[in-house]
Amino acid sequence: MSESPALQALQALKVVDAFDLDDELRSILRPGEMIRDAHGRRHRLPRYFYEIPSHEAAMATKLAPNFGMNEFVLVDLKEAPRLQLYPRYVPCAVRVLVFYLQQFRAVVGSSLHIVVNGGYRSPAHRLSTEATPHMWGTAADVYRIGSNILKTQELIEKYNEIALDLSEDVSVHPYGHVTGKNSDDHVHLDLGYITLIPREISEDRMEQPQESRPRFAFEDRRGRERRNLPEASDKPF
Amino acid sequence: MVAKPRPIPEKLPVPPAKDSVAAAEVSLYRNVLKIRQEHLLEDLGISFYDAETTIQWSYNADHYFHAASTMKLAVLLGVFRQIDRGELNLEAPVHIRNRFTSIVNQQPFMLDLGRDADPDVYGHLGKTLTVRELAYWMITKSSNLGTNLLVDVVGIPTIQQALDEMEIDGINVLRGVEDTAAFHAGLNNEVTANGLLKLLRLIADGKAYSQNACDEMLKILLDQQYRSGIPAGLPKAARVAHKTGNISTVHHDAGIVYLEGRKPYVLVILTQFSAEKGRGTAVANVSRDIFNTLAGSIYE
Repeated sequence: MSESPALQALQALKVVDAFDLDDELRSILRPGEMIRDAHGRRHRLPRYFYEIPSHEAAMATKLAPNFGMNEFVLVDLKEAPRLQLYPRYVPCAVRVLVFYLQQFRAVVGSSLHIVVNGGYRSPAHRLSTEATPHMWGTAADVYRIGSNILKTQELIEKYNEIALDLSEDVSVHPYGHVTGKNSDDHVHLDLGYITLIPREISEDRMEQPQESRPRFAFEDRRGRERRNLPEASDKPF
Repeated sequence: MVAKPRPIPEKLPVPPAKDSVAAAEVSLYRNVLKIRQEHLLEDLGISFYDAETTIQWSYNADHYFHAASTMKLAVLLGVFRQIDRGELNLEAPVHIRNRFTSIVNQQPFMLDLGRDADPDVYGHLGKTLTVRELAYWMITKSSNLGTNLLVDVVGIPTIQQALDEMEIDGINVLRGVEDTAAFHAGLNNEVTANGLLKLLRLIADGKAYSQNACDEMLKILLDQQYRSGIPAGLPKAARVAHKTGNISTVHHDAGIVYLEGRKPYVLVILTQFSAEKGRGTAVANVSRDIFNTLAGSIYE
């Protein structure tokens, strides 16, 4: 059975280890860094991303029958300027999100329209004040379902319930006016802080960082642990 | 901070000899008072500068009025300040979202899109428009949604800073549009005729940040689609780069008038009236009077 052009496009996308990207991109994407959410819980930022070379590639790449990659890279000037340009980067876990979005679409029987800034947002995005699944590519803000613009409590709560019925993995923001915790002009649907490591990727490099690569705090710590070295300390003996 | 209306003098000044600038000015003054009486205006502010003759004339020009949509000129200036500094790009995309925060209680509010005259912006809800497009609709169709989005992009402090840097007194911008909580708390944007005149003169003279920035601003202002104010008192051939401002009790227009074969003149007309009376044609009448004064008394 031959693969569809859209699936071929997805398979053609390069998966990158964000540790291998240039300094500017690493400082924007902050792969592997820990970041706190609104409750003070720490989560490790994703490391593996799809690299989308062009707008045309984003448009051509289907993640599911009714969702294209382009829908998850819609950002405005709140995103870091570098990430407003191609190539763009989206965490690989976006595929899991799309799996659920496709189910959601099937239940509501209408198209879902993801709002600008409502797909992937980098840690440098101005709305990324604390950890949010948007930074993992596992959240979507839907502002319109079919012809219904979601601007009333009734509509938002109706679709929130449908989203919650999909799976216990799905979380939504209740209707309300507190930015980041509620929503009053969209349905926020997320899967939490999922990271996805494509099966083609070998993670051994995480354990054996190259000397030429920049070292991150957690890598140093792991290295010391492996060598049974004491924690670095500036305390006098 | 809108003051009580000034009483209209019962006696009009005696006109001096014809064919002098002083005569033209007094004639203008008499006509303006007549217009004010005829239209039952509660208040009227006018400021005028003619680059051709360097004549400057004003009436009640330091009196503060509710700014209505003339505050969008200050927003435009703030946007171009950021562009000039390289902190903003005219082609940068902005998410079109109808959700703003009140300056009073930090509560979110939405614009009544039924009142906003501009489907060109709210038709893009959920999508993006560029800074250039928003600036265009903010001025040419007085889009409130476009205005509030640009206010969010650059910030009120930046807008006020732009005014301060240009030494423009007489324009106070506190908030975006339709912030009802702020309105009820008496926090409104205010302008004087002299303040708006200074801003427009800087643009007309190419001195608002850069010639290129001024050219861009003029291009937008020249495309103004509401023409019942200053342009309605002018010959059809006149080109006017302007911004109107209307709410239930004020009707303003502030613009740069380009006429063939001469340097432009800058004119600001601010009017206030009772809600029952309605806005009438006072702005157009004043505009016509000033044009006639220039065309007749000075050049004949």
